[in-house]
Amino acid sequence: MNCHEAAPLISAFADGEIDRVQSRDIKTHLEGCPDCGKKHRDILDLRSRLRAEVPYFTAPPALRARIGDLPRTTPTRSADRVERGRWRWLLSGALAGCAATVLAWIVGTSVLTWRANEDFVAQAVQAHVRAALNNHLIEVASSDQHTVKPWLSARLDYSPPVPDLSRDGFTLTGARLEYLAGRSVATLVYRYRDHTIDVFVRPESSGAPPSAPRTVRGFNAAHATGSGMSWLAVSDLNPEALAGFVGRIARGPDQ
Amino acid sequence: MSTESRFRALVLPHLDAAYNLARWLARDPHDAEDVVQDACVRALKYLDAVRGADAKPWFLTIVRRAFYDWYRSNRSPEIVRDDGLAIDSAVDESAIDPAQAAERRGNSDALEDAVGNLPLVYREVLLLREMEELSYKEIAHIVDIPIGTVMSRLARARALLQRSPFLRAIVAERAGGRP
Repeated sequence: MNCHEAAPLISAFADGEIDRVQSRDIKTHLEGCPDCGKKHRDILDLRSRLRAEVPYFTAPPALRARIGDLPRTTPTRSADRVERGRWRWLLSGALAGCAATVLAWIVGTSVLTWRANEDFVAQAVQAHVRAALNNHLIEVASSDQHTVKPWLSARLDYSPPVPDLSRDGFTLTGARLEYLAGRSVATLVYRYRDHTIDVFVRPESSGAPPSAPRTVRGFNAAHATGSGMSWLAVSDLNPEALAGFVGRIARGPDQ
Repeated sequence: MSTESRFRALVLPHLDAAYNLARWLARDPHDAEDVVQDACVRALKYLDAVRGADAKPWFLTIVRRAFYDWYRSNRSPEIVRDDGLAIDSAVDESAIDPAQAAERRGNSDALEDAVGNLPLVYREVLLLREMEELSYKEIAHIVDIPIGTVMSRLARARALLQRSPFLRAIVAERAGGRP
């Protein structure tokens, strides 16, 4: 390893975030190279100074007391749900009002939505490729929907359904988070034979109709809405099978 | 478990971490209290989504979001965006008179000033790493960025800190000349 290769890794090495094999190479380099060795020592030195000289602010007693009383003074969860429900009603009411009165506006927005979806599909394909290249398809590995679902809901402001489609040959292998179009998006990872399928799940907001399967840079993307969510599947699986899959997954559990 | 006992078990143990993060992000004790209070109200709503082991990163995620919501409604939005230009100008040395700052605060506070003046995107990852000792993976979840970005932001945060005008002024003073 030379300085050029080592330099960007020194900071992560000091944090113990480099894998064992690479760590050994970096360590050897740091011992032999005065410049890089100094950079490493500077980081450790900065760390001990930060811990010694920079204050750690603890919560003032008055705040602690106020927070401790919160569970008794805050309205219960069910009240929050009603409030959120009301919001959704308000939003859909506003949308319906506009739709009835301004046709041109609808045409305008549908073009915009279409563009936004287009953009989202492109971003999703990019995310799929990036994750596959970096071998970072999965952050929580589990075939158990009851493990994956809470993992996702703990990290998002919505809780996506995690359907079990193993009977159809689609096995759940895990999930991760992606940052797309300005927000975190739940990404479920399924396997079908040799194909990996990423399913990007967002709360349904626009109610855009499912578009026909599309091909972006050789990957197929198929979209469906259902169970209150918007589902976009990206994979190298053939378009028909993918469209069928995303339709099934959006429909949710069999009635 | 009742909501109250879950709140006691999952949120209250991390109240200091929450306050410290909010205090360093908002840089004001009263604003930090508001942010923490808001975060706790939000945490109460989603209490049953979290398991014990994940409670700290989960709660800090909420604190960070509460801070940014507060920040957007209270301060100019320009600096929030992760924009290379904005960040470079935010640490533009000519904007600060380090010698004056050092004299006013005294040497021991120089590092504190340097940390406080880091741009938000770097300050938050540095705090989560060096003060809360969280892993890159946990930081990635809290800040909502890929692990690779955590790595590069931390490296940049350290580099910015090491050449911070606040620290350089002290080094210069100690050495009796330019560093």
